[in-house]
Amino acid sequence: MKKSLFLRVTLMAWALAAAPIASSDLPSGERLDLSDYRGKVIVVDFWASWCVPCRRSFPWLNAMNDKYANDGLVIVGVNLDQDPASAAEFLQEYPARFQIRYDASGTLAREFNVQAMPSSFVIDRDGEIVAHHLGFKVRRQDDYEAAIVAALQQETRE
Amino acid sequence: MKRTVGIAAVTTLLCAGCSSMGVEPWERDILAKDEMQLTTDEIEAATDDHIYFSKEASSGGRGFGGGGCGCN
Amino acid sequence: MTRSDNRSISVTLAAATCSLLGGGIPAPVDAQEEPAWDFNTSLLYYGEDDDRVKDYSVSAIARRMFVDDRFLTIGLTVDVLTGATPNGAIKQDVPQTFTRPSGDGAYTVAAGELPLDDTFKDTRAAFTVSWQQPVGETSLINIGASASREYDYTHIGLNAKFARDFNRRNTTLSAGIALSMDSLDPVGGAPTPLTPMLDVGDKSNRRGDEDKDVLDIVVGVTQVVSRNLIVQANYSYSNSDGYLTDPYKVLSLVDSTTGDTLPRVPAPGAEGPSHQFLFENRPDDRTKHSIYGQAKYYMNGKVLDASYRFMTDDWEIDSHTVDLRYRIPFGADRYFEPHLRFYTQTEAEFYMLSISDSQPLPSFASADYRLGDFDAITLGIKYGWKTRNDNEMSVRVEGYRQTGSIPGNQIIGNQATRDNYPDLNAIIVQLGYRF
Repeated sequence: MKKSLFLRVTLMAWALAAAPIASSDLPSGERLDLSDYRGKVIVVDFWASWCVPCRRSFPWLNAMNDKYANDGLVIVGVNLDQDPASAAEFLQEYPARFQIRYDASGTLAREFNVQAMPSSFVIDRDGEIVAHHLGFKVRRQDDYEAAIVAALQQETRE
Repeated sequence: MKRTVGIAAVTTLLCAGCSSMGVEPWERDILAKDEMQLTTDEIEAATDDHIYFSKEASSGGRGFGGGGCGCN
Repeated sequence: MTRSDNRSISVTLAAATCSLLGGGIPAPVDAQEEPAWDFNTSLLYYGEDDDRVKDYSVSAIARRMFVDDRFLTIGLTVDVLTGATPNGAIKQDVPQTFTRPSGDGAYTVAAGELPLDDTFKDTRAAFTVSWQQPVGETSLINIGASASREYDYTHIGLNAKFARDFNRRNTTLSAGIALSMDSLDPVGGAPTPLTPMLDVGDKSNRRGDEDKDVLDIVVGVTQVVSRNLIVQANYSYSNSDGYLTDPYKVLSLVDSTTGDTLPRVPAPGAEGPSHQFLFENRPDDRTKHSIYGQAKYYMNGKVLDASYRFMTDDWEIDSHTVDLRYRIPFGADRYFEPHLRFYTQTEAEFYMLSISDSQPLPSFASADYRLGDFDAITLGIKYGWKTRNDNEMSVRVEGYRQTGSIPGNQIIGNQATRDNYPDLNAIIVQLGYRF
């Protein structure tokens, strides 16, 4: 499951070009270009307003963001709701201090081969997917965090 | 009786064989709704089972499991 | 729903177990929200017409969620039963006197009336508890226990179910098992089967208490068909072993020509039955097989829930059930849900309207209308709404009618002039509150 950063960027740019552009009323709707984050560790988290474990994952994602953003962690929450109003309602109740992007058509989710909701992918500084977890289990928070820390501590190849 | 088991077996196999049927994990918004759960109201279902069991010669039959948001 | 209305209470509690088995994955008040405690409560009134059974019931289910989709569920139901239930004897053109089940009194039924026994006023309490948790990434397990008590009946049961997802959670295979161990201590003692109803105070044909065990197994498959459609199919097996007879029900012993119940004179100075009645007898074993299918279909906010069940057993009863519910939302906060149910069953092999004095005594015989040949229809409507503090209330009103028929070859002589199998009409009113 390791893909080069170049391929990743190309696919993401293509995916977002093919996907409906998020409406300008929505927060953080700009295109996602991974090359912006070269050299950082990226966590891509797929979520939806109707997904119950997502409510548990948001506080944790916020905590990770607070703790490791200065060390080079970027979290991108990709919303898969069909109805943008539902996503907005969810974000009112569970505000995110990390980036949110919208993928209502599921193009990005397919690209990442999302198997369960929520799904989180840890991409290291070289653009390779080094960890992913299906679902969000409160009891595994430490394991999830360890995967992020491992990626942060890894030296880049450049 | 044999016929019943036969029908049940065929139905189960047919459904189990539908391994390509379904939706993507992120397309379960409607299935996650309360009103789309197989048993929407536990007490109402238990009440009906109890009443009909007391007044008729058949009982139960309902299954469980599956559907919903499919999360975690 | 009195004791005598249930073949034996153990049957009711097996039903409770079956409904535990069929109880589905617990859904909180809002499947999309997670309070730590979730309550589902209800008040129920069930009332039959013509002075027959009335049941008042309070139920509550409390569910506590623990970390990562673990649930503890506790349920309690209290029922108060009043009213009268048919005792199995046929109508006559003269008054009939029966000894009460306790053997300590008698009651008389007017000429032309369906004999009903109104002895029992009963209170029942039932308790259930279960624990559910995920197993691995794609499975879950649920184990539970149930118990109930009324003054002449005790039930204890255990149940377990397991479900596993396949195919990115689009397909779920499930299996469940429930075991019941029940004991019945009939008022006055269980009567020796097919012996006559005796005078008041004569308990010579009464025995003590009885037991019954029930095993239920369910296997099923649930399949997500599309974004809007989910279907389920399952097969159930049930085996009851032990005392399955209703200790309070009798059959009339009738003249083979006139079809009238043979008269009887109580002993001098005693009160007792005015006619000859024999206590019923059912086999001590019953095996049932059912197949059940359900579909839930979402169309623009409305949900259609349709199910079908076929049951067949070794008492030669076959039944078909079709159940339809259609939920129609109004705005974001309320809905109507009409409900229609059709049911039909064939009679048990040993069901008979009466016993003729010229036939040899059968091994098994029962005139319990619930083992007869009948159709039933339920028509109801439910209205639900969200309260100001975001909880859910609902009220439903339903009418239930049972229309039975006796096969021509069971009707003897004058019996043809009477309505031997009167319709059962009942109303159901239930109030629900989830918070």
